[in-house]
Amino acid sequence: MRAYSRTARLDDMITTTALTKSYGNARVVSDVSLHCEPGTITGFLGPNGAGKSTTLKMIVGLARPDHGTSTVDGRQFVELPNPTRVVGTLLDASAMHAGRTGRATLTIAARMAGVPTTRVDELLDRVGLADAADRRVGGYSLGMRQRLGIAQTLVGEPQVLILDEPANGLDPEGIAWMRALLRDFADRGGTVLLSSHLLHEVQATVDHLVVISRGAVVASGRLTELLASSSLLLRTPDPDNLARALRAAHIDYQPGPDQTFTVDVLGGRVTPKMVARVALEQQVLLTELRQSDSGGLEQLFFSLTATNAARPQEAAA
Amino acid sequence: MTSTLTNRPVRTTTTADIPGAAFPGIPFTRLVRVEWGKATDTRAARWLLIAVAASTFGLMLVPLLSPSSVEQSYTSYLGFAAVALSILLPVVSILTLTSEWSQRTALATFTQEPRRMRVITAKITVSLMLGAGAAVFGGLVTAAALGVAAASGRTPDANLHAGLLVAFLLYVVLNVMTGVALGALVHNSAAAIVASFVLPIGFGLLGRASHLVADWLDYSTAFNWLLNGEWSGHTSQILVSVILWVAIPLAAGLLRTVRREIN
Repeated sequence: MRAYSRTARLDDMITTTALTKSYGNARVVSDVSLHCEPGTITGFLGPNGAGKSTTLKMIVGLARPDHGTSTVDGRQFVELPNPTRVVGTLLDASAMHAGRTGRATLTIAARMAGVPTTRVDELLDRVGLADAADRRVGGYSLGMRQRLGIAQTLVGEPQVLILDEPANGLDPEGIAWMRALLRDFADRGGTVLLSSHLLHEVQATVDHLVVISRGAVVASGRLTELLASSSLLLRTPDPDNLARALRAAHIDYQPGPDQTFTVDVLGGRVTPKMVARVALEQQVLLTELRQSDSGGLEQLFFSLTATNAARPQEAAA
Repeated sequence: MTSTLTNRPVRTTTTADIPGAAFPGIPFTRLVRVEWGKATDTRAARWLLIAVAASTFGLMLVPLLSPSSVEQSYTSYLGFAAVALSILLPVVSILTLTSEWSQRTALATFTQEPRRMRVITAKITVSLMLGAGAAVFGGLVTAAALGVAAASGRTPDANLHAGLLVAFLLYVVLNVMTGVALGALVHNSAAAIVASFVLPIGFGLLGRASHLVADWLDYSTAFNWLLNGEWSGHTSQILVSVILWVAIPLAAGLLRTVRREIN
């Protein structure tokens, strides 16, 4: 269930094949392969230091992989004649010239892309920075810099966006705004790859998920599939009898608070229907039976990263 | 938020077969224009350029106000302009190169144009344009000062010829290029600026102890020979200084810039 993967497709806009990189003896990215197709938002999820930024930097040619390749729109990034017309990149919103105004920053980007500078005002308006346009970026909050960074990525009217932690520094309203903007971009056929260590942010935004831990991909697939593969939540006013019924049916469970139980679906081998039938046969009332929601991805995320983190120790033992 | 913008993320069928073909590369003239803007669009850059102009005017007061102790000649006046320009103009060049790293804009710049050598070449072009412009400015200030001197009843020695004007331009440009080379190599604004002031002083002091250092390693000596048109007997020393203080650090700096991983 977690080994979801697929072969590359011709229309993939971002592709990496076995990207690997070490700094000294430390391997920071290991065999990372991912594919992003048009019309989708892919979340690149992992704890801090998992190798997300290094992977993104290798895709856009700022870092050299030891092995492996990556392409954007079918070409190596460094071979794109005018990259910002194809892919908008925001790797670090704090990496902007503090002495330049927001307008000047975008004007440079517009000139590089070769688009009319009238687009600068449109974009400033679009990201909500029209009033701050002539203030120096040094006085911007991180959230404002993220908005300016997003405007910068959109300058060249690209088909692809690559964003490293774009939600950093945004308030809830800003996050909702970004979510709508990215959804709209993808719905128009654009391709988005964004990284995050914030589970909830990713869960509400992305279609596909690539989870990375310690430099290696530990899960990837459609968000719905990854969520469905986690667990079911049951609630009953009669916990003792439900526990007995589940044991009799050889279904593993975890008792939770407030008369709840969590049941691992074991990759689809345990279904809600099966659980409901067990309860029916044993005359146990169920007041709730559903995919466990918000905690699902979180559990998956932590279990995956924890398992992965434990691996070297196992190998050493 | 409603918007009149379209993102145009969908490829048109005509370009789908040849990725990126719809958008040609960035012309070099456009890169130069962008880099010119970057070199002049911040408050710090503008103040620095104002300071270059002010120091040129300021140093020109020396021959004007001390007619008895300073030689009253065209070359003497031009020499003061040359010195004024060689103090702060290299700093402008250094910042043109280093600010991408200190301000971390390299992250954006080299995703806008991944062919880093083209960006650096554009920066060097802008530095040379600024240097040439400053030399013309210095020449005009000199002419004005000589006009003032003439108006006050002096008759400065008109000992200037085309060769010395070229030497003046070369002197200013070479000083700019030492800044460019240092900036390309060091990548840190503060360290590069400090080095640009400390190295000439250091080699000047060492030059007092050793003629070898003074004649071959101290570029201020060599560049002064150039400025004063004293090529004969010093040609190889001037060339060695250019190789040592411009060509080698610039080549190393370009290599470093092209290879460096950006964080």
